[in-house]
Amino acid sequence: MAEDEKTLGKVVLTRLLRLNAIMQGVVTGIVAGLGIFIATNWLVLKGGDVVGPHLGLLGHFFIGYKVSFVGSFIGFAYAFVTGFLIGYFIARIYNRIVDVRERQRTIGS
Amino acid sequence: MDQEQTCGRQVIIIGAGPAGLTAAYELAKLDDNPIVIEKGDKVGGIARTEDYKGYYFDMGGHRFFTKVEEVNRKWREVLGDKFLRRPRLSRIYYNRKFFDYPLKPMNALLGLGLRQSILIALSYIRWRLRPYPEEETFEQWVTNRFGRRLFRIFFKAYTEKVWGISCSELKAEWAAQRIKDLSLKTLLLSMIVKPKKTITTLIDQFDYPQRGPGMMWNAFKGEVEKRGGSIRLNSEVVAIHNGGGKYIHSVEVACNGQKEVIHGTDFISSMPVTEFIKKLNPPAPPEVLLAAEKLRYRDFMTVCLIVNQADLFPDNWIYVHDPAVKVGRIQNFKNWSPHMVPDAAKTSLGLEYFCNEGDELWNMADPDLIELGKRELEHIGLASPADIDDGCVFRVPKAYPIYDSEYRDYLAIVKNFVSRVENYQTIGRNGLHRYNNQDHAMVTGMLAVRNLTTGEHHDLWSVNTDKEYHEEITGKSEPEIALEAVKEAFAQAFAKLDRLAFGFSIGATAGLLLFLATLFLVVKGGDVVGPNLQLLQQYFPWYTVTLPGSFLGLGYGFLAGFVAGWGFALLRNLSVFLYIALIQRRAERLLLRNFLEYV
Repeated sequence: MAEDEKTLGKVVLTRLLRLNAIMQGVVTGIVAGLGIFIATNWLVLKGGDVVGPHLGLLGHFFIGYKVSFVGSFIGFAYAFVTGFLIGYFIARIYNRIVDVRERQRTIGS
Repeated sequence: MDQEQTCGRQVIIIGAGPAGLTAAYELAKLDDNPIVIEKGDKVGGIARTEDYKGYYFDMGGHRFFTKVEEVNRKWREVLGDKFLRRPRLSRIYYNRKFFDYPLKPMNALLGLGLRQSILIALSYIRWRLRPYPEEETFEQWVTNRFGRRLFRIFFKAYTEKVWGISCSELKAEWAAQRIKDLSLKTLLLSMIVKPKKTITTLIDQFDYPQRGPGMMWNAFKGEVEKRGGSIRLNSEVVAIHNGGGKYIHSVEVACNGQKEVIHGTDFISSMPVTEFIKKLNPPAPPEVLLAAEKLRYRDFMTVCLIVNQADLFPDNWIYVHDPAVKVGRIQNFKNWSPHMVPDAAKTSLGLEYFCNEGDELWNMADPDLIELGKRELEHIGLASPADIDDGCVFRVPKAYPIYDSEYRDYLAIVKNFVSRVENYQTIGRNGLHRYNNQDHAMVTGMLAVRNLTTGEHHDLWSVNTDKEYHEEITGKSEPEIALEAVKEAFAQAFAKLDRLAFGFSIGATAGLLLFLATLFLVVKGGDVVGPNLQLLQQYFPWYTVTLPGSFLGLGYGFLAGFVAGWGFALLRNLSVFLYIALIQRRAERLLLRNFLEYV
């Protein structure tokens, strides 16, 4: 047991986590996409005189997006792409920095 | 393997225990006709089953459980369906009370009383807070995990009975080897891959040959002989003739007062490695002889009592921690298998006394030992002397190699010398001076044959030290490969998230997003440019939806993102550490519950 504990402990203490950029992108994209999709449809179902005036402001960035049932699908696509890019770049930047830091640590030791 | 080599080879196997018999069986299957030389009058070595008036007595109690699939296959191949699946029940006798084993908190609390339980808890906390900095000895190892008071109650007396030396002399390495099965990683994996299946199986039930392990070893003997091998019982190797220390060419065997020299091309031996050294002719160098002399063993005796009672107690065995009696463990063989007893109205017990060959207990006459057994059985309250019909005593020398404070250095000298003998391989528990179970002993026999016949280079000394030994014998199966992948994923999942890198990446992305969003609105233009985005000003002073504002937004976005990412990574790492600590506590509790399995 001691040996395994040391091994796992060593991993936890010394090894740095690497992120899978594609997976990170897909997950962030799905979360963002679903978020917009649900939020839009929630407001559509809720109805009212003016439907979702604030969420509609996203139309400034997501051309063609409206707070409507059809808009929720457009919003999903936009948010998925944006979310994917955000997640992907976060992971890539993170991994690159971790590589550099580990290389420096190896040289230092 | 070419035919010429097979025809010219004569393998001599010394010892017909699990390791030697397995090696013989493997060779016999290759039509190699090995000669097995066994000192005793039956096969099985220290895992043998003795027979007295039709009652069978398993020397030590051997459950058939293994994680090495190849060993399991061999058992089934040789013994077929003559296995019983037995429920397992064992308890601890301490301070005139019986405690459930594996330990159950409520049962232990009731048995020990509230005051003692509180003292145990306080002692546990004290040793968790200020443990021994080094874990060199068994005492330190256990105390650090369970506290000194619990060590004294449940570990010290029994362990010292078994080993005959103080727990402060016993190496911690022994405990670590014996309880490797309950590793933290295994426990973690068991939560996802096989939820506690293996551990539960080990605790609740086990396989057992109908008439004890001897039935298995006799079946092995039959298979070897059927295929042309020969097993010579009552034959003791008295000298091993070697030429220049590099090759063994023959062994001198004494049988019924006659001596005979048997020549061979290759030698596999499970005899105690210390005896091998001592029997070499010409003798081994003095420093090697001295090292062999210093390696120690623990011996034991089973005092077998036949009791005129159909049903004495439900346990397979009872651990006796009470220092008021000398007996260490009491086996109820009828509960191992009903076939171990010829008369269903009677019960056969085995009282195991751990001792050293030649000491007072070892030298006691058999009738005196039987009387001692009767008295102690009455003291514990399990049977009245009047109910005991008959008894006998069996002695098992060199049952356990002792891991004392010096053994490692001496073993290294012996190992170095033995490894230089090219046509000799040492196997089994005593051959390797390693506390291996019967399945591990069998693995050493199998690997020795592979080394010999296919030119593989397995290090037999590492069986049961390297986690991968069973992969050597079986090759990795698909589930094992999958398990390896899961292990790697686990290690990866528990690795640390680099705070700086994560903060920087979130910061850079957030800054860039705000920069682009601002710039996009500026380029788009209009009467009022980005009135809603400009609301960020409430948090980011001087931020505006303008070209200079986009650069300011880049900075602000980076800063906010960095802080958020850094904080997230910190909390994530902290929660992983806490989770691991929690799992470790659970593993240690499980370890305490099952610890005696491994003593």
